[in-house]
This record gives sequence, C-alpha cells and structure tokens, in this order.
Amino acid sequence: MLKKIAVLLLLIFLTSSLAGCWNRKEITDMAIVLGTGVDWTAEGRLRLTVQIAEPGAFAGEEAAGRGEEATNWVVSAEGKTIEEAARNLAPKVPRNIFWDHCMILVIGEEMARKGTNLVTNFFLRSREPREIMWVLVAKGEAKDFLETYSDLEKTSAQAANLLTRMRTGYSVQLWELAEMLAGKGVQPVVTRVEVKEAGVTPGPGQEMKPPVHKQVEISGVGVFKEEKLIGWLDDYETRALLWLKGEPMEGVITVPDPGEPDKEVSITIRRGSTKVVPEYDGKNLRFAVKVKMEGDMVEQQSRENLAKPEMIKVLEKEMAEEIKKRAFITLEKAQKEYGVDIFGFGDAFHRKYKKAWRELKNRWDTEFAEAEVIIEAEAYVREIGLLSKRAGTPEE
Amino acid sequence: MLEKGKINSLQAILLMISMILPTAVLSVPAITVKSARQDAWLSIIVATVVGLLIAWLVVTLSLRFPGKTLFEYVEEILGKIPGKIVSFFYIWWFLHMNALVIREYGVFLATAIMPDTPISVFHIVVVVVAAYAVRNGLEVLSRANQLLIPTTVLLATVFILSTGNMKLSRMLPVIDTGLLPIIKGAAAPASWLGEIVTFAMIIPYLNRPREAHRVAALSVLLVSFFLTASILEALLIFGPNLTGAWIFPVFNAVRLISVDNSLGRLEIIIVLAWVLGGFFKVGVFYYAAVLGSAQWLELKDYRPLVLPVGIILVALSILIHEGIVDLFDFLARVWPPYALIVFEAGIPLVLLLVALVRGKGGRKNA
Repeated sequence: MLKKIAVLLLLIFLTSSLAGCWNRKEITDMAIVLGTGVDWTAEGRLRLTVQIAEPGAFAGEEAAGRGEEATNWVVSAEGKTIEEAARNLAPKVPRNIFWDHCMILVIGEEMARKGTNLVTNFFLRSREPREIMWVLVAKGEAKDFLETYSDLEKTSAQAANLLTRMRTGYSVQLWELAEMLAGKGVQPVVTRVEVKEAGVTPGPGQEMKPPVHKQVEISGVGVFKEEKLIGWLDDYETRALLWLKGEPMEGVITVPDPGEPDKEVSITIRRGSTKVVPEYDGKNLRFAVKVKMEGDMVEQQSRENLAKPEMIKVLEKEMAEEIKKRAFITLEKAQKEYGVDIFGFGDAFHRKYKKAWRELKNRWDTEFAEAEVIIEAEAYVREIGLLSKRAGTPEE
Repeated sequence: MLEKGKINSLQAILLMISMILPTAVLSVPAITVKSARQDAWLSIIVATVVGLLIAWLVVTLSLRFPGKTLFEYVEEILGKIPGKIVSFFYIWWFLHMNALVIREYGVFLATAIMPDTPISVFHIVVVVVAAYAVRNGLEVLSRANQLLIPTTVLLATVFILSTGNMKLSRMLPVIDTGLLPIIKGAAAPASWLGEIVTFAMIIPYLNRPREAHRVAALSVLLVSFFLTASILEALLIFGPNLTGAWIFPVFNAVRLISVDNSLGRLEIIIVLAWVLGGFFKVGVFYYAAVLGSAQWLELKDYRPLVLPVGIILVALSILIHEGIVDLFDFLARVWPPYALIVFEAGIPLVLLLVALVRGKGGRKNA
C-alpha cells in the first residue's frame, strides 16, 4: 500500500514537472507576423518589412466594440541578408517575432529583378515560416503593399491571402516556386499584386463623397527567367497562361453573339484540361497543345434564342476560337518577348524525349522560343442557367 | 540462457519493422532521390531484392544452430578466438549503428521542432527509456512495440491527405538517368533493409523458429512498402529536384497539408511516429549490443551491462559526428558500403560457407 502511494505521489510530481515547457512562448509574448515583404534598397541592401497582428483587434465581439483600433503594425529593418534584417528588426519589436502564421511573402519589384533566391532561401530553410505561404511580386515596393489597409478584411496580408486562395489569378506557394526554380523544364511565374484605389466605405450622414482607399489588387503575374524577374503578364494573358499550364481553370470567356454579332455572350469556365504533346525529330521542335474546356452560358445581350442545339454548336465554336486566340497572344509574348518557357513545355518534352532532353535542357529557353506551337481548342457549353431565352423577348 | 522470454511471429515482424523503418523514412528518401531522381522507387525494388537475400542468408545460417544467437554460433563455426574477434566487431557495429540512430533522432528533433533544447537531452532521454525496456527483456520490448500499430493509421491518413498536392507526372520519365544511378541509389535503402541481420539475435527466442524465414521476408517486404510510400509522398509532391534539396523531405511534404485552411500543421504526426519508432529502433540495437556483449563475456545475466552500454551509447552518439552535414555525408557515402559489405552480407555469407565446409550445425534439429 505504501509503495502504491509512493508511486502515485511520484507520478503526480513527475507529471507536474515534466509537462512544463521551460521555453514556452505565450501568445502575449509573440509578435505574430501575418505577412512579410522584402525590398531591394537603393543602397543595395535588403529591407525586410513585417506586418504584425495586433491581437486585441482580432478578439471576438467584445473587442469589436472598441471600434477604430488598428489591426496591425508594419515595421521594417534593413540588412545584408534576411536574417540580418530580422535581427535588426528585433530591437524595434518588443516581442518574439513568430513566423508560423505568415501567410504571404511579398517581393518588391526591384528585389525580384535582383533575384528571388536572396529572399526565399531564408524562408525555406527556417523552421517557422511555412512552405505554403503565398508568394507575390509587388509592382513597386513590398513595403507599400503591406502598409495598405483593407476594408473588408482586417489587414492587407489577409486580403491578399484570401485573394490568392480564391485562385482568381495564378497563385503560387513558396514550395511551388522552389520547385519551378529547381528544374529546367519550366520557368517560374509569380502572382503580381498592386496597390490601387478601389472602392469607398460609405457611412451615414456623409455630405461629401467618401475618399477612395488604396487597396491591394491582384493583377496578372510576373514572369521570371530563373530567379530574376524579366516582365509581366496582365490579367487577360494570365488566364491563358493557366489554360496552357493545365492549371485549374476559372474565369469567363466573352464571345460575340451568333445571332447579332455586335452583342456579347458570356460563358464561365466550369472545368478544363490541357494536353501538351511534344514532337521532336532531332532538329525541329513542335508542340501540339490541346485545350479542352467546358463552360456554362451565364449572360446574353441579344434577343436571339440561343437555347437551340445548333446555336450552342456555334457558340462552342466561337468559344474555341476565342480560347485559341487568347492562348496564342500569351504564347507569342512568352516566346517572342520574354523567351522563357513558363508553361512547362520543357517538362512535357522531358517526359517524352528523355535522351534529347539531356542535350537540350541547358539551352531550353532558346529552343522553346523557336519551337512551333499548334494550339487546338475544344469547347463545350453545358448549361445555360435558369433562362432559355432572354426574358422579355417579344412574341414572334 | 540469458533471455528467457519468447515472442511470437507477429511480434517479431512488428519489431523488425520498428527496427528498420524509423530512420529509413527519415534519411533514405533524400539520399536515394539525389542519386536515382524520379526512379527512386526502382532503387527500392533493387534494395528489396538485396534485403530479401540478406534475410534468407541470416535465417538459413541461424536455423543451422537452433537456440543460438549470432554471438554463440560464430564461435562454433570459426573456433573460439577468431569467433570472439568477429563477434567483437559485431558488438562495435551495433553500438556504432545505434549511436548514429540516436544522433539522427536528436538532430531531427533539434532542427525540426525543438531548436532550443540541447541535443544531448534527446539522446539521454531516448537511451534512458530504451534502457528500461532492454532491462526488462525482449518480451517487454516487443509487446510495447505492438502499441505502435495505431500510429500507422495516422500515417496512412497523412498520406491520403497529401494526395491533393501530388502529381503522378512527377515520376516520369521512367529510367531517366540510366541504370547506374538507380543501383547507386539502392545502396542506402539496401543497407537499411540489411539491418535485418540483427534478426539473428532474436531467432532463438521465437516461439516458432520454423517461421523465421517467413518472418524475415515479410518484415523486409513491409518495410520496403512503407519506405516506397514515404519516398512517393515526397517525390510526387516536390519532384526529384526539390526532394533532393530537403534534408527531411517527408517532413516537409507533410507540412504542406492544409485541408480547407483549417486542418493543418500535421507534421507533428510524423514527429510522433518518429519519436515512437526511433525509441524502438534504439531499443532493438541496444538490446542486441547488450545481449551480444553478455554472450561475448560469457556472463550469466545481461542486465548489469545495460547501464554501461547506455552510457557508451550516449557518449558515442554525441562524439561521433561534429554536425548534421558530417552526419548525413557519412550516412550517404560511407555507411551503405561499410554496413552492407562487411556486416550485413559479407560476414554472414562467409560464416555460412565456413559452416557448410566444416559441417557445423545442421538442419536436422532445426
């Protein structure tokens, strides 16, 4: 009995002493980074900017009543490396900087032109930041981006996080960027963000028009040659980039109405797939790209009754033409203007011609730029919404 | 007999899996993918064949001497003095390997989750717990090991949740870099699978030694299966280039999981499996070293050796390498040929041949 009591006491003693973490970090001791950005300064140093959450502002209902409290705090420091900059940040931040919840990594334009490796290595190597944070390239400075305010979300980092997560454009996570950089078969593209005036916040009793806020916006992608930024694709071109890359497709295609060509019909993309077939005879390089897409008609401007099989056929043909046209514009830009394979055609080539790849991979971008690409598109309109023909169309 | 416990075949299989798999999952994917790239799974197939051959070799040898461990029949085959010399090297090998395992264990915990804790803390903790298990004997060790089974369910869940990030095309083209890199890439997994040699210390304590062949072969096959799964987990997500760049690719692959932005940070499951599995891995080699030393010294009881061997293990694991770069360089380049050629295939093969030539042992009483 005595032994049992002794064992019990020992157990209680041990559990109380072993469970404690001597290097515990309480939430009140942490500066939780929501988003971070890196710029290349004129003096040739790295400037690290962090957006730190103001925990009080994130608390529930009770705190919401406090109103106009700031939700975040943005602070920067410079250094020769990211780590050095982070250390220089420490004297300004009265808490431990905690990277685990960092959602976005914004790379300033100048920094991106200098090379992303100077930035990403730190975030991939350290234990705290996660590989799934979104990487964004800011037009202009990353600092400005992080310093903007978001109306709907609490911080600009959250707004950007949600925007990228919705995959309205091309979104890339840190590990995906690392993977694109690691191989020779594809060159990286990274989501571009801008700070633009967008929307107003009207309030009661406003005499004057409320001021327009500057907010974050996703606008296309930055095109990289290896780790260096060399140019941009706009939103319209980015859509086609997704199709050619075979990424999940979203978006809308607007084509002229088959009945009245001056009116438009909009079709949203439901799903699609892309097949890239390389052909190589030792000299000539050719790619046959087949894009297959399914969509739903969501809007029609004309009076024409489009809910007829033969009309849908015409629509499908127009849609395929439009896909081809847009894909071709993006392709031309990648081949002629930038000369980099951002579509991963190199990977497709590697899969089919593994011997020839060994020879071509070191000059792949020039090979790609000169390659002949044939784009074929197949489109299907599956649904037309709740209307068969335009409501309010007069009786014939 | 020093060990009085008996274990059944299922316990033996599970113990062998726990003995090989934990560090294999930790270290092998990066090493193999660096060499064989997307053909790493072919390397595992090659390694499995090697592992099965070693398993066959060891079991055949052991069954010629029923009721005897490696350390006992070595002397019978080679004579007393040469036998003692060979078994002394085996004691060293068990200690050396265990020190490496403990170091990998500590290094992983320190770099991946607990950077502020001194590495020696992990080493001491795992050795102390293993010492307790070893002192209690093989039966206790194997029964405790059975408790590990539920974690495989967690690991399978993690694998399934990862499939969202996977692309099968990352495995293409097959046989990209030729056969030589595949063979080279097979060296590391083969040396891990060859650890099945340690089974020679356990065969005498099986309640049905006749099933030893089946136990060894099944253990090797199951380990290969889990190893292939873990390589694919990393390879299908990161592709060959990035997988080779990570130190613990499987860990990073699991870090990516984020189900609907709410269920994430599942890497702790991997850590859990490694902490548990690593403990058993350390335990089995610890047991082999202690039992072997007792037999080498012809003691009546192995328990007095548990503490000194434990102290040697902790000290050795800290002294053996200067840092992680040193450790992984050794594991990738030196360890596979050293372990495979000398201790896993070489000596057992010579022993079997000598036993056949000198007519030692025999199947009749197996």
